[in-house]
Amino acid sequence: MKRLFAVLALIFVATAAAWAAPGERYLHVRVDNARDGQKVRVNIPLSLAAQVIPAIDNGRLRDGKVRIGNFQANGVNVAQILAALKNAPDGEFVTVQQPGQNVRVAKKNGVLIVHVVNTKGEKENVEVTVPWSVAEALTSTANSHELNVEAAIQALENAGDMTLVTVTGEHQTVRIWIDSNNDAR
Amino acid sequence: MILAAKIGWGLLGTVLVVGGIVSSEGFVHVSVQQHRPGGTHIWLVAPAMAAPIALRLVPRRPLEQALEKAREWLPAAQAAASELQECPDGPLVEVTDPTEHVKVGKRDGSLVVDVNDPREKVYVAVPLGAIGDSLRVLAERGATQ
Repeated sequence: MKRLFAVLALIFVATAAAWAAPGERYLHVRVDNARDGQKVRVNIPLSLAAQVIPAIDNGRLRDGKVRIGNFQANGVNVAQILAALKNAPDGEFVTVQQPGQNVRVAKKNGVLIVHVVNTKGEKENVEVTVPWSVAEALTSTANSHELNVEAAIQALENAGDMTLVTVTGEHQTVRIWIDSNNDAR
Repeated sequence: MILAAKIGWGLLGTVLVVGGIVSSEGFVHVSVQQHRPGGTHIWLVAPAMAAPIALRLVPRRPLEQALEKAREWLPAAQAAASELQECPDGPLVEVTDPTEHVKVGKRDGSLVVDVNDPREKVYVAVPLGAIGDSLRVLAERGATQ
């Protein structure tokens, strides 16, 4: 009898896990503006973005890729740099300090972190976190003047729950993240 | 008497079949309610399958003008309408400010837009299948121009 209950419990758990597994992944954007009290919440299913982005043929975005001009400026191959950075140990790679702005680029636990602090004018703190798989997907096109947005979205679908961008200004905060919830509250 | 009964059953069957066809793609719901005292409340329910049919009947000239700017976005809109049908229900966009509240989301297979501002409350629900069919008609008519 106990064995029967154990088997039934196992079947129940396996069924529940199978039922819950194919969850939709969402890209969320949350903007809060303290100055005018405006709040914006956007929840985009990643599967929707994956279908729509390749269908857009407007301006710099075509065939799922966005043209960004001189991406390979002065012969610097960003894809090769990313490949080199991927195998590099965790640490800080670039720090630019100039009047009004500090920029720090670092690698930590398999993600690329870009931290920008604006101290001039409207003070702002920007932190961008990009998983390596997404950074590689972005630069996976043969043309070095393009970013492969379509591939990056596919890579994001396989990434875990994480915050991608936070912007904290004097009057406004922005957060962009991915998870499996359909609501950005 | 038997003939009358046969005609009655025939009419009932026809009504049921036509009703089934008309409601097969769901219904478009539109509600506009003014907040001011004595303000009007418009409530419209129309079969969604009428939208693509109506688009086929729109004269070419105004359609050309409407499509001029929208043409390049039609494939993306078609892809969105198609994929949204597969996505679970939920809010897509919500904008709130001290005077206005706008919500766009998917509910029961329809794209739902809810706007509440100081003047009026607007609610529109359009079945995604009908949106996809309408965009397909627009793309076909746009391609043949």
